[in-house]
Amino acid sequence: MRLKLKIRRCDPMKTGACSPFLQAYDVEAEEGMTVLEALISIAETDDPSLSFRRSCRSAICGSCAVTVNGFPKLACNTQIIPEHRKRGQLVLEPLANHRVLKDLIVDMDPFWRKFEKTTPFLIPKEEPEGGWKITGEDQAVIDDSQKCIMCGSCNAACNTLDVDPGFVGPAASAKAWRFVGDVREADGERRLKDLSAEHGVWDCVRCMHCTEYCPKGVDPLKAIEQLRSRAMGAGIVDNHGAKHTLAMAESIKRVGRLDEAAMTFKTLGILRSLGMIPFGLKMEIHGKMPHPIIFPAIEKMEEVKKIYEAVEEKRKKERGGEG
Amino acid sequence: MAKLKYAYYPGCASQAITRESNETTRRVARILGIELHDMPAANCCGAGLMTDYDYELSLALNARIFAQAEEMGMDIMTICSTCLMVMNKANRDLTSNPGLLESTNAILGEAGLKYGGKVKVKQLLWVLAEDYGFDRLKKKVKKPLSWLKAAPFYGCHSLRPSDALGFDDPEDPRSLEEAIGALGGEVVDYAGKTKCCGFQIDLVNEEAAVEMTGRRLTGALDKGADCMVTPCPFCHINLDNYQSMAEKKLSRKIDLPVFHFSQLVGLALGMSPAELGLSRHLVSPEKIVR
Ligand code: SF4
Ligand code: SF4
Ligand code: FES
Repeated sequence: MRLKLKIRRCDPMKTGACSPFLQAYDVEAEEGMTVLEALISIAETDDPSLSFRRSCRSAICGSCAVTVNGFPKLACNTQIIPEHRKRGQLVLEPLANHRVLKDLIVDMDPFWRKFEKTTPFLIPKEEPEGGWKITGEDQAVIDDSQKCIMCGSCNAACNTLDVDPGFVGPAASAKAWRFVGDVREADGERRLKDLSAEHGVWDCVRCMHCTEYCPKGVDPLKAIEQLRSRAMGAGIVDNHGAKHTLAMAESIKRVGRLDEAAMTFKTLGILRSLGMIPFGLKMEIHGKMPHPIIFPAIEKMEEVKKIYEAVEEKRKKERGGEG
Repeated sequence: MAKLKYAYYPGCASQAITRESNETTRRVARILGIELHDMPAANCCGAGLMTDYDYELSLALNARIFAQAEEMGMDIMTICSTCLMVMNKANRDLTSNPGLLESTNAILGEAGLKYGGKVKVKQLLWVLAEDYGFDRLKKKVKKPLSWLKAAPFYGCHSLRPSDALGFDDPEDPRSLEEAIGALGGEVVDYAGKTKCCGFQIDLVNEEAAVEMTGRRLTGALDKGADCMVTPCPFCHINLDNYQSMAEKKLSRKIDLPVFHFSQLVGLALGMSPAELGLSRHLVSPEKIVR
């Protein structure tokens, strides 16, 4: 079957500036043919100037990630016939949220810089007498984060990185969890403080895209959730994200649901809430200001309180067990 | 065909800040003959924040909602994409991991509750797409929206994570498009319909949030849309209430009305602007309503 592949190309090295254009190639597609095999066949037979990265051809090295019909995928791990069938076309583009160097090759330097900033190695505590005893459970909590092949797919799909290149991003967050979640790590609290600062884990919008597009099941959003949990647990709560979350937990415990007005005030503090007054007035005119005083509690609140108590009790025991 | 009935979980936002979407959904359900049964004891799903706070606690709180629906003998229908995502993720974790269901039930047991793992959680859009059927909906249309160029906006949580939701294709969704078509409107396609509205960081990084809001709105506007429609009240808050901030940020007039999905259905079913609660919007849709 002959299929048309449209590839977004550009060569800023030649021209100094990148003015991308779509170039179409015909490929003889066989059942099971991957995007990478198609690219290689184009480069070998049609157009040796077409540039793309690859190495292992088996979803291990992480070098071949590209945008396939709008979403990041490993070229060596994605078949062209089903992708073409799905959208009635096949468009290949460089990874989003990355600067293009040439054709499908992007600059990965900022990606590596984000890793470097998280101190990507273990800073071990002193080994206990008799050596470390690592349980299966200790291992399990960081297992997923160790599967990362650094392909950049998650960062390419990230909605926050799209508008804020300074955001730590999903890949480096998953790497940070690899160490924060390690029972042998000595410097977890410092890491959590750094990650709770501006451009840190609280800037993630929970869009799920990183988790959806990671080809290795790393689940970076889960790592971010765990980093946030740990940070709050360590008392690192002087930021809007943590305050917002704590206000929510308190609101549910009190009335069983979200008390929006109270949350806005708690999170932003009096000063920023005052800054929101013009906006608030406009909301009020349209009847959009929720009124905290009239927000009634749900029925059977005692059940919610019992659930909170049961979990709090469990946490107390765990802490007792540790210390 | 047996009567459709659901345990109705509008979500916190739709009971307060976007209550027009709750009120419209109730009216639409009445017209279509879908029974919605209130859950006055249901708690907040946690909106994703409770997962950060304490994963086990958030599972138990969601399981409490599921246990109530199980008791009622019904599946849950929500009108909030974030509730949909949070509840389906919790349900996926609970039903795919017997140990987790057991430890969660141990917590619920303290409150005299138990979840058997049998409940499904859907959203109004799914209910109309899968259970009610767009063909049937089309037959109920009184006023086809033939003049309307509507840009569908899914946002993040109505489609992802797909292993928990399993409704529609997150890379090429069709349900909202088909719904707009069934109501007689014209679909405007644009990039960004499955991207983020910014809501979740409104209070954390307002600048980044408003930038997202602005890009989604202008993406639709530039393709000729005269309105947007979203199944999610949180997306609505940003796309409508924050639109003036997005205009400032992008230094550009946008003025794009945004409908709740239920409102678009209600409009085609012949409901009046007052019944739809259109005066509650900050960007008035009244000028494009006929
Ligand atoms: S969930 Fe957070 S980290 Fe993951 S892609 Fe979305 S914004 Fe980025
Ligand atoms: S977390 Fe997944 S998507 Fe992100 S770089 Fe690692 S392997 Fe790639
Ligand atoms: S070529 Fe190595 S991951 Fe694709």
